[in-house]
Amino acid sequence: MLRYTIARFAGAVPTLLIIITLAFLLLHAAPGGPFDSQKQLPPAIKANVERMYHLDEPLYEQYFRYLGNILRGDFGPSYQYRDTTVNEIIRQGFPIDALIGGAALLGALLIGLPIGIFAALRRNTAWDHIPMGLSMIGISVPVFVVAPILILVFAVNLRWLPAGGWARSFPLHLILPAAALAAPYIAYVARLMRGSMVEVLNSPFILMARAKGVPERLVILRHAMKPALMPLVSFLGPAFAGVITGSIVIETIFGLPGIGRAFVDGALNRDYTLVLGVTILYGVLIVACNLLADLSYSLLDPRVRY
Amino acid sequence: MPRKLSTALLSALLLALAGCANQGGPIVAAAQTIQVGTDLAVEQVFNRHLEADPRSLDPTLAVEVPSMIVLQDVFEGLVTAGIDGDTVPGMATAWETSADGKTWTFHLRKDARWSNGEPLTARDFVYTFRRLVDPTTASEYAQALAPVENAMEIAAGKTPAEKLGVESVDLQTLVIHLRAPTPYLLALLTNVYLSPVYEPAVKQWGNAWTQPSHMISNGPFVLSERVLSEHITLLKNPHYWDASHVRLSKVNYLVIGDFTESTNRYLTGDLDWTDRIPASDLDRLKQVVGSQVVLAPNFTTAYYAFNLTKPPFAGNPKLRLALSMAVDREIFAKYVRRGLGVPAYNLMPPLPGYDPAVPEWAKLSADDRHALARKLYQEAGYSESHPLETVITYPSGGADVRRQMEALSAMWQTNLGAKVQIYNVEFKVLLEAKLQRQPLFYWDAWSGDYLDPFTFLQLFTTGNDMNYGGYSNSQYNALVDQASNTNDVAKRMQLFHQAESILNEDAPFVPTYFWVSAHLVKPYVKGWQANLMDRNLSRYVYILAHQES
Repeated sequence: MLRYTIARFAGAVPTLLIIITLAFLLLHAAPGGPFDSQKQLPPAIKANVERMYHLDEPLYEQYFRYLGNILRGDFGPSYQYRDTTVNEIIRQGFPIDALIGGAALLGALLIGLPIGIFAALRRNTAWDHIPMGLSMIGISVPVFVVAPILILVFAVNLRWLPAGGWARSFPLHLILPAAALAAPYIAYVARLMRGSMVEVLNSPFILMARAKGVPERLVILRHAMKPALMPLVSFLGPAFAGVITGSIVIETIFGLPGIGRAFVDGALNRDYTLVLGVTILYGVLIVACNLLADLSYSLLDPRVRY
Repeated sequence: MPRKLSTALLSALLLALAGCANQGGPIVAAAQTIQVGTDLAVEQVFNRHLEADPRSLDPTLAVEVPSMIVLQDVFEGLVTAGIDGDTVPGMATAWETSADGKTWTFHLRKDARWSNGEPLTARDFVYTFRRLVDPTTASEYAQALAPVENAMEIAAGKTPAEKLGVESVDLQTLVIHLRAPTPYLLALLTNVYLSPVYEPAVKQWGNAWTQPSHMISNGPFVLSERVLSEHITLLKNPHYWDASHVRLSKVNYLVIGDFTESTNRYLTGDLDWTDRIPASDLDRLKQVVGSQVVLAPNFTTAYYAFNLTKPPFAGNPKLRLALSMAVDREIFAKYVRRGLGVPAYNLMPPLPGYDPAVPEWAKLSADDRHALARKLYQEAGYSESHPLETVITYPSGGADVRRQMEALSAMWQTNLGAKVQIYNVEFKVLLEAKLQRQPLFYWDAWSGDYLDPFTFLQLFTTGNDMNYGGYSNSQYNALVDQASNTNDVAKRMQLFHQAESILNEDAPFVPTYFWVSAHLVKPYVKGWQANLMDRNLSRYVYILAHQES
């Protein structure tokens, strides 16, 4: 398994290099530079700023300088926040995204799994149709609609929870953003688990277990559960990367200091280093999450060996 | 629990700064009084909204409004902003100018201290000003010192920083040598990017000197905590020269970019004061919180500029005037901006002491104005059968901005028959396009850096950094140049008025409205006053006893 893991990481290097190169070129191709402002800077002053950040060098020199720096773990200074480095921005923002994303996904599993299993066991009854119908709403209603409704109800009207922010009354601030982010994932998990469970329950080995007189509770928990989780595991890997990288809207609505918002602001302000740094982080995250999902197959299915 | 101010003396006067002898007469800070028996909150904590994370907490590197707002609480220059936004003494208590207006001598207060207790001297200003123009600092605001001798030569790397026209005669005396008389120098010096920085901290920590654990400052508050894109906490600076009159013990800046979110946080009690209200939310908020919505004129003009290097607007002032006259500004300000704008017919926002040049046609009735606009439109070669077809480019800014553009386009269509399409691009894309002189007609706006007409009228001088449309009129240039080099205040204002009249005739842009700043302010927040520059230093604020909302 170790060899497989190393090989997978080694295989990710060219992928990441392509991502970095494309992002680097696209950013520099975008109109406007990091230090363009409403009032043009006098040429001498603009030259000073560009010299400081090596923006006066040919593009290939900037590219290789950047690659050299990231090999040393240095994502460089932020152009947008002049007394801050990209490493600092990631160090402050990423744990917040990870916490919200992790909480959202955990919530989605704790709620979505039982709903999916229950619906599968009560197939084609109201217990199946109602939660599956509601889950379609969960999937269809975008997060930028769910989040303001949650704020209006629980923060502005009921005053049970904070309307946003992070540091001042943690962990209460976690609840609404995590709930808003979790809503579609609860629906995904429930539908996925229901479909998978239905399929497993129709399998010959379940029929065999029942024929042998195994109690239904054990049939579900011991025989059906594990294989039914397989599709969910392949969903969870990318989903974890998705909740972290996809929390940009949530961060904006709840005023959270995650890196998603910094990423968008960085792109709008042509903060090359910040955008590249976060792009690399997201790339590594997606690769790592997919790898973890692949590795966990072997725990669930004895036929899978690395 | 509320605490009552017990002594009449203490309660009678919070601020009474010494007057300063200068050529224009004494400048005295507006004395701010607290009535005897006023119930003050025990916890003097002020929760302020900040619309974006400051790009830098180094005054020398700061360029945008959020940085300035925080830094004006943490640093203080030779002069600073009073409660009403006017210039009041800061680190300097007095100053005088030479007869030719080119040499200014500032006398620093003897009790000026850094937040570590060290004395602050004229040498700190010399270091700061040299650092600002030093090419290796790469400050984007280096040009702020352009009026100072050799500043721009130093910024261009042609002269060493030591040659800057700033010297410390002794520990308390700073002399500034100017290239030309600069009557607006004091107003310029209120800007926080000209505040002193502590050399030992910069030398020791480099860029990291602005971190809370390293920063040494000289303002009413010190930086205590910073979480990027979330909050900044300031604590009262006990070494500040006027600390005895600073009421607040703590200022929390909450960074919230989304104005709906900031409004929600205000309504739920997280914020005591918001920086801005979206126009679309104004009516609802007036109903919900009534007088807590505070509107005030702002020193900002929104306008739409023409590209004067390309047809159809190059060499066609009649067409430009027709488009300007066809805009119903009263309707625009009232129904589109929903009160967050004052109709603008000229470039300069209202400023005490300056008589703005408002075009005669602004006084006409809407029907007469439209008729005159149609006449000019036809004289410019356009008609119903041959309408003007052009595009107006504007930067992304949400539903409010889009609604404004749609309204303008509709006005030109209805009042002239002109077909003006609206085209939305990202802000940086618009900047780049303007540099290339691509857009024919585009959104723009300007907030004055200081309370003087020069900050606006310089924008349309030939080759100015904001003159993207390529407007050029030698008579206009000469008037602005003459005004900027004149010490006689009345004459300056007259020259600016004449220059602005030329702009009105040439119509290189369509002024639309003067900005109105809009804040939500809790009734228990006192000691602040709406002002033109929208400068609201926490130094003057105090909190009344109140029930937690």
